[in-house]
Amino acid sequence: MYNILVVDDDKEIVGAIEIYLKKEGYNILKAYNGEEALDIVNSNEIHLIILDIMMPKKDGLETLEDLRKNKTIPVILLSAKSEDYDKIGGLNLGADDYITKPFNPLELIARVNSVLRRYVSFGSLKKEEEGNVYKTGGLVVNDDTKKVTVDGKEVKLTATEFNILKFLLQNKGKVYSIPQIYENVWNEEGFGAENIIAVHIRHIREKIEINPKEPRYLKVIWGVGYKIEDEK
Amino acid sequence: MYTNIKSEDYEQEKQNMKNKKVYWDYVDGVVDTNINYLDNENIKYNYSFIYAMEKQTDSSYSISDYDIYSSCDVTNAEEYSAYGLNETLYTYMLENRTAPIYGTILSIGLLIVIAIYLFWSIGHKEGEEGISLNSIDRVPYEVLVFVCLMILSIALAVTANIGRTINYVFLLVGALGYLVCYAMCAIIGVTTIKRIKAKKFIKSFLVYKIVRWCYRKLKILFDTLDEKTTENKKLFWYYLLFIVISIMLACLFYTGIAIILLIGFWIWAYYKIKKYILDQEKIKKALKDIYEGKNDVRLNEDELRGALKEMAIYVNDIANGFSNAIQESLKSERLKTELITNVSHDIKTPLTSIINYVDLLKKENIQDEKVKEYIDILDKKSQRLKKLTEDLVEASKVSSGNVKLNFESIDIKELFNQTIGEFKDRFEDKDLKIEVGMPESDIKIKADSRYLYRIIENLFSNITKYALEGSRVYIDVTENNKNKDNTNSNNSHNYINISIKNISKDKLNISSDELMQRFVRGDKSRYTEGSGLGLSIAKSLTEIQGGKFNIIIDGDLFKAEIDWPMSQ
Repeated sequence: MYNILVVDDDKEIVGAIEIYLKKEGYNILKAYNGEEALDIVNSNEIHLIILDIMMPKKDGLETLEDLRKNKTIPVILLSAKSEDYDKIGGLNLGADDYITKPFNPLELIARVNSVLRRYVSFGSLKKEEEGNVYKTGGLVVNDDTKKVTVDGKEVKLTATEFNILKFLLQNKGKVYSIPQIYENVWNEEGFGAENIIAVHIRHIREKIEINPKEPRYLKVIWGVGYKIEDEK
Repeated sequence: MYTNIKSEDYEQEKQNMKNKKVYWDYVDGVVDTNINYLDNENIKYNYSFIYAMEKQTDSSYSISDYDIYSSCDVTNAEEYSAYGLNETLYTYMLENRTAPIYGTILSIGLLIVIAIYLFWSIGHKEGEEGISLNSIDRVPYEVLVFVCLMILSIALAVTANIGRTINYVFLLVGALGYLVCYAMCAIIGVTTIKRIKAKKFIKSFLVYKIVRWCYRKLKILFDTLDEKTTENKKLFWYYLLFIVISIMLACLFYTGIAIILLIGFWIWAYYKIKKYILDQEKIKKALKDIYEGKNDVRLNEDELRGALKEMAIYVNDIANGFSNAIQESLKSERLKTELITNVSHDIKTPLTSIINYVDLLKKENIQDEKVKEYIDILDKKSQRLKKLTEDLVEASKVSSGNVKLNFESIDIKELFNQTIGEFKDRFEDKDLKIEVGMPESDIKIKADSRYLYRIIENLFSNITKYALEGSRVYIDVTENNKNKDNTNSNNSHNYINISIKNISKDKLNISSDELMQRFVRGDKSRYTEGSGLGLSIAKSLTEIQGGKFNIIIDGDLFKAEIDWPMSQ
């Protein structure tokens, strides 16, 4: 049973999140401003914090800063601010993920699960690294077992999708155009198959990403190609 | 002795001549002659001749030393000769001395009467008031008189040389000549009278006109000197000073140093003028920059002097006002964007609760179909509100230019393959067939890949929403060369044209301009999903990246055209 602290000055939002996460089997603690949140963190064992940014007394970013002085508890920021610089700023302060309001409950749950799995099962990853294993962040591709896991959760891919993902992960950080992917995965020049590759990649994204429109691993560089983000 | 007489006996010849009908001899102041009116009594007739002869007597070549004998054959010639005619006329005149006097008085009287009549009547036309002037009267007076006198003198010369020769051709020419002479006199006379009567006599002189023109120019020059602030005044005095100094130095030419000084002075004056013109150029350039929209134009006022300094101050003021206005408008755009962003934050928080609780309601085990339907409506509307809020922020950001662009080289073919891949399932759901036309060669453009994708995404998303099911969608990319004859030259005019065509499901009873405006959509779509900001965002995003976005509606054909500058 993991303890999740939900911090938001809007009681109804906290209430809704509580309902969703309780259904997933988490224990929920509630706070309505930053100071309350810090008090609860100091007196309870908390595994994850969902933190709103715009709050009275102490806002989310200040709370996060104070928290990071002595705690490594994972934090998901939850904010109506959806600008890139808001997200980057939050992540740079030490947040583990960022969700914009209004959020999709399924996405929230997926991100909570993902962050918790990464945080809790960090040590167990070592076992899987044996054999032909390629990984970035929480994404692991095992070429021997043909298994793909994201944050420890197995994902079912077709053979073609697996080959494309494996190729991109083997060369993580590098951008490949559709013809290059075709040549490398099929070992032949592909004419007319261009948007089939694009469809496959979209399918992969839909399977391995929590929000395929804002992918974390399989990035689309429009007009250039695709790449797997190299996460340490 | 000079003679043409061949005979040796001169005394005999002299006697012979004396014996002829007429002779005239002058001996010691006494005339011996047989011409009765040339004798001593009438000698005054030829007085001057006698006087000359008497004068000669004093000199060494006294006339008394000479005897002149001349003779001519006058047999039967007396009554025809000029001599004879003169003699007859003289005799007549001596007998009728008073006759010419009456004639003359009569003539003069008539002349005066006619002249008065002419003077009175000239220039008046029947049925017209005042003096009517014709084209001759407008010719400058002295020019006219000169020309007339020239013609007159030529005519006169021709006529006079014909003399007394009696010949019909000559007579005719002579008559014409006199006619011309009279005509010239008449022209001069008539025009003179007309001009005097029209009170334009003096004004019609060319000299008068020239003098008046000079006077006016000088008057303008000196009038401007009266105005205190004009540059003209300065220019005049500077110029005067220049001339005076030049003349003074020129007068000292023989000193040698003056030449050097004069040349030096001229060069100095040239540099002064040159500096003035260059300073003027600076101001002109600054004005041009302002005109072209640069707002960081500033002139160094201390470098300039006089009127140019004044101009520079004005230019700087304009530039300041201009850049202030731009700053103001940027600021107000930013404030607007900020306001919209903040408002959207405030909307998003309650919206989150609505969406979440509607979602929770959906998961409740509700049997009532009506309640289910209501919840469904709430769900759709709250989702639309979410989309609307997001698009509103984006539209305001993009249209105010409040976005950071990150340009990179984009392969158009790759972009469309990726985008079509993204939309393939949604196109297939609507049974839309995609027909892509691409050139053989690779096409690279410079763009911010995320925003370029947003443009295509918005257009594709519109197609999935509004295209007629089962129809075809045409995507064509063409390379365009504005100077086709000269492809090797400057490539900067090249651009690519992306055209996306589809058939609308509903009648497009709206203009393309209206469609691109914010919040406007084709009639029916107002009741379905979407915010109506898609095309507006696409247009703004194209324009901030240097492209052109255009919508063409032709019946049910919906065509989006994007012109994008090609990268080198």
